[in-house]
Amino acid sequence: MSDNTVRIAGILVDSFFPLLKAGLLYTVPLTIISFVLGLFVAFITATVRILDIKPFAKIAEFYVWIIRGTPLLVQLFIIFYGLPSLGITIDAFISAIIGFTLSVGAYSSEIIRAAILSVSKGQWEAAHALGISKKQALIHIIVPQAIKFAIPPLSNSFISLVKDTSLAASITYTEMFRVAQQITARTYEPLWMYTEVAVIYLMFCTVLNILQTKMEILFERSGN
Amino acid sequence: MIKMENVNKSFGKLEVLKNINLEVKQGEVVCIIGPSGSGKSTLLRSLNHLERITDGRVYIDGELLDERKNDKDITNLSPESISKICSELGMVFQRFNLFSNKTVLENVTLAPIIVKKVHKTESTEYALELLEKVGLSDKKDEYPSNLSGGQQQRVAIARALAMKPKIMLFDEPTSALDPELVSEVLDVMKELAKEGMTMIVVTHEMGFAKEVANRIIFMDKGEIIEEGKPESIFNNPKEVRTKAFLSKIL
Ligand SMILES: Nc1ncnc2c1ncn2[C@@H]1O[C@H](COP(=O)(O)OP(=O)(O)OP(=O)(O)O)[C@@H](O)[C@H]1O
Ligand SMILES: [Mg+2]
Repeated sequence: MSDNTVRIAGILVDSFFPLLKAGLLYTVPLTIISFVLGLFVAFITATVRILDIKPFAKIAEFYVWIIRGTPLLVQLFIIFYGLPSLGITIDAFISAIIGFTLSVGAYSSEIIRAAILSVSKGQWEAAHALGISKKQALIHIIVPQAIKFAIPPLSNSFISLVKDTSLAASITYTEMFRVAQQITARTYEPLWMYTEVAVIYLMFCTVLNILQTKMEILFERSGN
Repeated sequence: MIKMENVNKSFGKLEVLKNINLEVKQGEVVCIIGPSGSGKSTLLRSLNHLERITDGRVYIDGELLDERKNDKDITNLSPESISKICSELGMVFQRFNLFSNKTVLENVTLAPIIVKKVHKTESTEYALELLEKVGLSDKKDEYPSNLSGGQQQRVAIARALAMKPKIMLFDEPTSALDPELVSEVLDVMKELAKEGMTMIVVTHEMGFAKEVANRIIFMDKGEIIEEGKPESIFNNPKEVRTKAFLSKIL
């Protein structure tokens, strides 16, 4: 083995645990917090639009339009670098949470809306005929049935989010990718370092894929 | 119990109901027959706001449910009072529409619990009574997807009855069933008729109509063409269109 191979192997081994640690301590929490908050926003956005609650339905539509029509990276830049000009300074972590939450909220609201709309119209009609209000119908009948349709696409969003959190590196938040950048700056081995961090993302996503499959089987079995 | 005055309904340019006048008295069983697309379902559905009429008036149990002029609502009714009036009506659909995420028993108890705030034990007790009546006590913990069409439709009837409606609306309740399952549903409906329930039944089951109905209404192209006692409609139809329709299906 040449000296260089040994050197690179050493760098990879030395950096593996710092990277994994950054992944578990920063990437994972950022993903989970943004996703949970995002789902909450998404659910409200979808409900407001489905029930056509004025004037919120229009606001929700506008919000989805803006977020889906502009790059996530640009949104993060506006929040982190732009808002300070208005005297609003938000630290990198919170900026990232806000950016990702808004993004998940908009995209997932479309998923939830589609899932709700794919529940057969007969279910709404039967509820109406029994005097059940739209709100109660959503809670007791429609949403429980829609979950089954929403889980596969929501799992995909979650997996995308794990990868998208690497954008937070560009607003100085030290998650896994930024740690990789920092190590690269010291070692000058971009090919190996970025490949290594790619492999760790791949590990995370593979675990999530397995969980997704498990969850889908579970919901398939639980009937309806 | 039910009164429709000069009711018109259009979907865009398509006129589906044309100047319908109809009265149904307490305890009456009225069967509506007519070719496909004649507006039978639309008539039924405008009795509980599943469709909104574009013109005319609808009264349920003496109370004004809908009044429209040129598609403008002129009733000023709150959603609560509309839902209260509608709750006098039970409806049974062609495709059953049981709540697929709920068991048979939950299907029957749900509306009384969340709409009428009936206590769960009380509501369960009554639901079991109703399931007994439609012959399905042993299926109470099944999900709808595990039942045959005939069983699902009987659960749907029990579910509607759980709200103690004064009037039952049936929209082709047996059309989606395999032939051998039709009679189990018709039997339940006959039983209801015998108990004096006011019923409006859209059906292609002429045997049932003859046997149970007090009155037959024949509709075509959005109009009530002819109505009368089963004997007179089936044996001596007066209108050409009625004759043509009956000769095709009898
Ligand atoms: N939501 C709707 N939008 C547009 N047109 C509709 C709608 N619902 C019904 N129609 C039309 O209204 C007409 C009457 O329909 P309706 O379902 O009341 O007929 P029907 O007598 O019940 O027929 P069938 O025996 O096939 O059930 C049909 O031409 C139908 O295509
Ligand atoms: Mg019909």
